[in-house]
Amino acid sequence: MTGFIIRRVISMAVTFIVVSIVIFLMMHSIPGGPFDGYEMPLPDNIKAKLMATLGLDKPLWEQYIRYMWGALHLDFGVPFQSPGDTVIGLVAHAWLPSVTLGGLGILFGAPIGVLLGMAAALRRNSWIDYLASALATLGLTIPVFIISTGLILVFAVWLKWTPASGWGEPKRWILPIMAYGAVPLATYARYARATMLDALNKPFVSVLRAKGLSERRIIFQHVLRNAAIPMVTIFPAMFVGIATGSIFVEAMFRVPGLGAYFVSSIDKRDYPLEMALMLLISALYSISYLLADILYAVLNPRIRIEGRAR
Amino acid sequence: MSDTPALELKQLTKRFGDFIAVNRVDLAVPRNQVVALVGESGSGKTTTGLLALRLLAHDGGQILLDGEDISTLSQKQMKAYRRRLQVVFQDSYSSLDPMMTLGEIVAEPLGIHGVATAAERRDTARGWLEKVGLDGSYANRYPHELSGGQRQRVSVARALILGASVLVADEPTSALDVSVKAQIVNLLQGLQADMGLSMLFISHDLSVVRSLADEVVVMLRGRVVERAPTDRIFSNARHPYTQSLLDAVPVIDPAARRRRTFLSAEEITARTPRITASDLVAEPLLDTADPQLVALAGSHFVEAIVAERATP
Repeated sequence: MTGFIIRRVISMAVTFIVVSIVIFLMMHSIPGGPFDGYEMPLPDNIKAKLMATLGLDKPLWEQYIRYMWGALHLDFGVPFQSPGDTVIGLVAHAWLPSVTLGGLGILFGAPIGVLLGMAAALRRNSWIDYLASALATLGLTIPVFIISTGLILVFAVWLKWTPASGWGEPKRWILPIMAYGAVPLATYARYARATMLDALNKPFVSVLRAKGLSERRIIFQHVLRNAAIPMVTIFPAMFVGIATGSIFVEAMFRVPGLGAYFVSSIDKRDYPLEMALMLLISALYSISYLLADILYAVLNPRIRIEGRAR
Repeated sequence: MSDTPALELKQLTKRFGDFIAVNRVDLAVPRNQVVALVGESGSGKTTTGLLALRLLAHDGGQILLDGEDISTLSQKQMKAYRRRLQVVFQDSYSSLDPMMTLGEIVAEPLGIHGVATAAERRDTARGWLEKVGLDGSYANRYPHELSGGQRQRVSVARALILGASVLVADEPTSALDVSVKAQIVNLLQGLQADMGLSMLFISHDLSVVRSLADEVVVMLRGRVVERAPTDRIFSNARHPYTQSLLDAVPVIDPAARRRRTFLSAEEITARTPRITASDLVAEPLLDTADPQLVALAGSHFVEAIVAERATP
């Protein structure tokens, strides 16, 4: 198991380096630079001086190494768009609403989805099965900005139960959380239904019935345990969405989270901020997949044994 | 001991929508005997097994376990009877919960019925693993570490650990290769003799049936078309479908190879045997010109048309 984790961590580090190089090159391959404004173009000599102070006149490889060296020491530089701040400070500040929104969205969406999917599997072709399928399909196919608009229209405009947008007091959180939770809910409703049905149709379930085990125990002791593996393993990947998936929701509900900076940093060629955000996503992805693999190994005896044998 | 069969099905019927999967099936498994239920895929033999186990709701007829009607019991009431009535399925891999060790799997029935303490259950399970020819150390292993034959042994141990008297074996050897198949058949045969098991052995493999069964019941499209002691089926099959099943058994010696006849559904219907009333040992149940199951000498039943005044 330890060997398995070490191997995974090494491959994760290699992936991370490759990804950072690709991101860096792509970022710089977008034409234009941070000082190419349209309205008040800077004189060339001033621009050159600014570029030199920020080290942007150096060759790309040198810029990359400098940035990554800084990043290793948790120094991600100063964002061009707010020079009084640091990238770390800015991200730390905007991080909280994003995590609150994403975390609560998953916390509400995933369990409801799991319950819905389980109910659908246990009562096949009943109204709850159709409801779960309909919700799952809608949740996965309708873009989140349409869902958001719909929620605003129904709950804020027609029913006037909640404010239409903003953050701050928890009353304003309700709609964004519902919008954010739609995808985890839909994903889990589908997943839970499929994995439960898969486990329910195994002959060992028939054997358990033949042995006289009650239906409730069959489901809780055997079926759920088998169905849980795939469900647990997609969970870490959901967390990455906290940083990425909420961009639209944050924009629709004007939540002061990280989402806005993804757009503005690219738009303004704010290299230090852009790079930091991209590295953050890569790190989250790497860690979540590592966690998923470890969880899978812990839960599944088949993998556990193979890991031990090696 | 009385003549009450260990397991008896009377006029058992199951419909799936308009399709009649099991159509008024009668069969009886006498104590300490093996009755084979044979037929092609889709003939209703597996469904019959599931109905007998009360794992599938039937639409008509009765299921008698040691003479007691269990067909109307609730699943809760069934629990007590389940100790006596057990099952082994074909797919040995998915028959075992992949999350559990073999020891846990084999011991679980004891836990379900609240038999013995946890430690005793573990020991009993180990004992059973050894009884079916596996090392006791297998108790700590997982199903995926075993071969198909080994897994099937575990299924057998699990089925019999509660001291079942009736075993429904649904194609337990069909997924195994020939040599392993023989081992499992030997195991079942040995356990059957040791424990006085009565077995309903569902199979399409007539060579296995021949070595194991006392009686053979042939199903076709949900109906029992022939039923007779094993020797009689192999020597004197009367129904064209049974004959074509026997023809389909591979013969290794090329010189002894017969021409195989594969009959279509229409051909089988057209060749339904006609039997004169004087050949019957019992009055036919129905006064009809349609095919019905009739009794011949030597405990031999066949679906036939009773020809009233046929000339000999």
